[in-house]
Amino acid sequence: MVGGFRWAAMFPDEVWEHVFSFLPADADRNAAALVCRAWYRIERRSRWRVFVGNCYAVEPAAAVRRFPEVRAAAIKGKPHFADFNLVPSDWGGGAEAWVEAMVEGWPHLEELRLKRMVVSDDCLELIARCFKNFKVLSLVSCEGFSTAGLAAIAANCRNLRELDLHENEVEDNCLHWMSHFPESFASLVTLNIACLEERLVGLLHRVPQLVDLGTGKFAAQHHPELFSKLESAIAGCKNLKSLSGFWEAGPTYLPAIYSVCEGLTSLNLSYATIQGPELIKLISWCKNLQRLWVMDLIEDDGLIAVAASCKLLQELRVFPSDPYGAAQPISLTEHGLVAISAGCPMLHSVLYFCRQMTNAALLTVAKNCPNFTCFRLCIMEPHTPDYITRQPLDAGFSAIVESCKHLRRLSLSGLLTDLVFKSIGASANCLEMLSVAFAGDGDAGLHYILSGCKNLRKLEIRDCPFGDKPLLDNAAKLETMRSLWMSSCSVTLGACRQLARKMPLLNVEVINERKRGLPLELQPDNCPVEKLYIYRTVAGPRSDTPSCVWILR
Amino acid sequence: MGDQSNSPSSSIDSSSSHPALCSTSSIFQTRRDLLSTDLKLGLGLSTSALHGCSSKEREQLSHWPPIKPLLRSTLEEKVHRSHSKTFFVKVYMEGLPIGRKLDLFSHSGYDSLTRTLRRMFRTTIICPDTSRVPPEKAHVLTYEDKEGDWMMVGDVPWELFLRTVKRLKITRADKC
Repeated sequence: MVGGFRWAAMFPDEVWEHVFSFLPADADRNAAALVCRAWYRIERRSRWRVFVGNCYAVEPAAAVRRFPEVRAAAIKGKPHFADFNLVPSDWGGGAEAWVEAMVEGWPHLEELRLKRMVVSDDCLELIARCFKNFKVLSLVSCEGFSTAGLAAIAANCRNLRELDLHENEVEDNCLHWMSHFPESFASLVTLNIACLEERLVGLLHRVPQLVDLGTGKFAAQHHPELFSKLESAIAGCKNLKSLSGFWEAGPTYLPAIYSVCEGLTSLNLSYATIQGPELIKLISWCKNLQRLWVMDLIEDDGLIAVAASCKLLQELRVFPSDPYGAAQPISLTEHGLVAISAGCPMLHSVLYFCRQMTNAALLTVAKNCPNFTCFRLCIMEPHTPDYITRQPLDAGFSAIVESCKHLRRLSLSGLLTDLVFKSIGASANCLEMLSVAFAGDGDAGLHYILSGCKNLRKLEIRDCPFGDKPLLDNAAKLETMRSLWMSSCSVTLGACRQLARKMPLLNVEVINERKRGLPLELQPDNCPVEKLYIYRTVAGPRSDTPSCVWILR
Repeated sequence: MGDQSNSPSSSIDSSSSHPALCSTSSIFQTRRDLLSTDLKLGLGLSTSALHGCSSKEREQLSHWPPIKPLLRSTLEEKVHRSHSKTFFVKVYMEGLPIGRKLDLFSHSGYDSLTRTLRRMFRTTIICPDTSRVPPEKAHVLTYEDKEGDWMMVGDVPWELFLRTVKRLKITRADKC
């Protein structure tokens, strides 16, 4: 063998670039870059897709400098619990620093996906003006922009292929922003604007090649004529594979979209208050459905019907129509979940909101679906036990993690003791993200997780009796993870200070809204921490913290 | 709600008293009591600015179950639109023998309710969590719930409040 790593020079750079293009994951490319200086140089110049899971983990300029040829970037900002209003609105996650750096260093950027970030109209205008070959814009759960900014995108990005704007808070100040789209818009394949009210009919006639359509709020009783026009426009989109929207259509209108149902692989009815029987009829036409998001109005009977007709189903999400338990109880129980697990052999991802569960049902689900990659169960009343045996649901969730060896994401709920965490720590070897609320007995629970779960990347905890000890005992683990969120637990400021001193590569952010603006130095060690967000970073402490956030070093 | 330091800490070896039976339910009971105790104390010590936030934020304090804002606001809108029903409750102001009646279903939240009551009774109804000393003429809003207890308005999500409220009373701020 040739001495040192000079064998790298035996092939021209282009050959190595071609080899690297077969590496499936960024982690593999990262590993290749560590082999020798030549590979580091070649790899960085040929990486064209980057994913930044935490916008504060690295300086934008540093990322842009290292990978000069990037064409596609995805960046995430706020912690996941921001979706449930647990993160103060001024916490951070602004996109300007990133957009400015990208405009400077990646003028050929074609694709930008931002999640949970604050994006201003100025950012959108920069994007629209500076990226000449821009093809894909996806803003999910973002805020800070208005339809005026979207008008700039529509007017300038002539090659736009995908515009995905779901779950954003958008100020609607430019009523006809969509009229800025070009007359003949042959490139648009995905349009998902489920956060806005807009008349789509005209646009749909210009984009018959559309594959993915998400509509805005649509109340049929207010616009019956418009609705039927929309339906005929939808029927004209022969390639339609994915449909989502705020369907408040009555039973009379639904049959008009039966013609596209057979081609649909993805159907999102999570904002639709269509009742059980109509839902069943609609879904029975969708034989090729792979992804279904629906309200719990579908009830157990509806899920049994889905299990019978949608044999290709891979992902199911069932959302609560009545989260505060006010109206008539819905007949959606553990039986629906069991039916789906039995009838859909390709099912691997579930999000299920319900009010009752049993260990027996979870054991059955675990046996039926050993291929789960994502299992999120939300029993809406905290601390709910198995309703038949009155036992905690430890056994059920343990069965899930023991059976589903490829489980990457798990959300727990119901009455749970430290025992469930013992099982998770020991068995969940592929687990990357864990969400815990109102569970556990004490420190041991958290210790089991942090000392096990070798692939854990994100841990988010609320309202659990976990304190300082497991954090300090497992400080090193935190550097192997992307982030940890803990709110309404039993952590003290003193422990956070110790942790920050011990681990220089972590940003330890303490969020205390009650003590907004008060000086950190004067707070005693035993001061309880409301919310804690810890993440690894090579960028050091950020400079845009609001008055309710202290960064400990 | 945040401070759980009073809950019993468990040792790693919990095999001696397996939590599955009565001790689990007692933990369950204790935590529940803690939650309700915390809420009551929070109401009583109104001058300590425990929350220091608007009534809109107080509505969403518990942020549970975990559903996204878009879904939450869509469901709230549906609740209001589907209501051809009304829900009138009696409202009394301390010192006035004659009460009024108010349709709670015609209001979208606490802000809307307080505004209407201020107009009806011509008094300032203060947010009980401000640390400023309330002026002489100010009042706070309380309600009687299904269990017969008198509670400060504004601590639970609006939808939950609508389910439990029986009637309202405007009392002098210095009494609370």
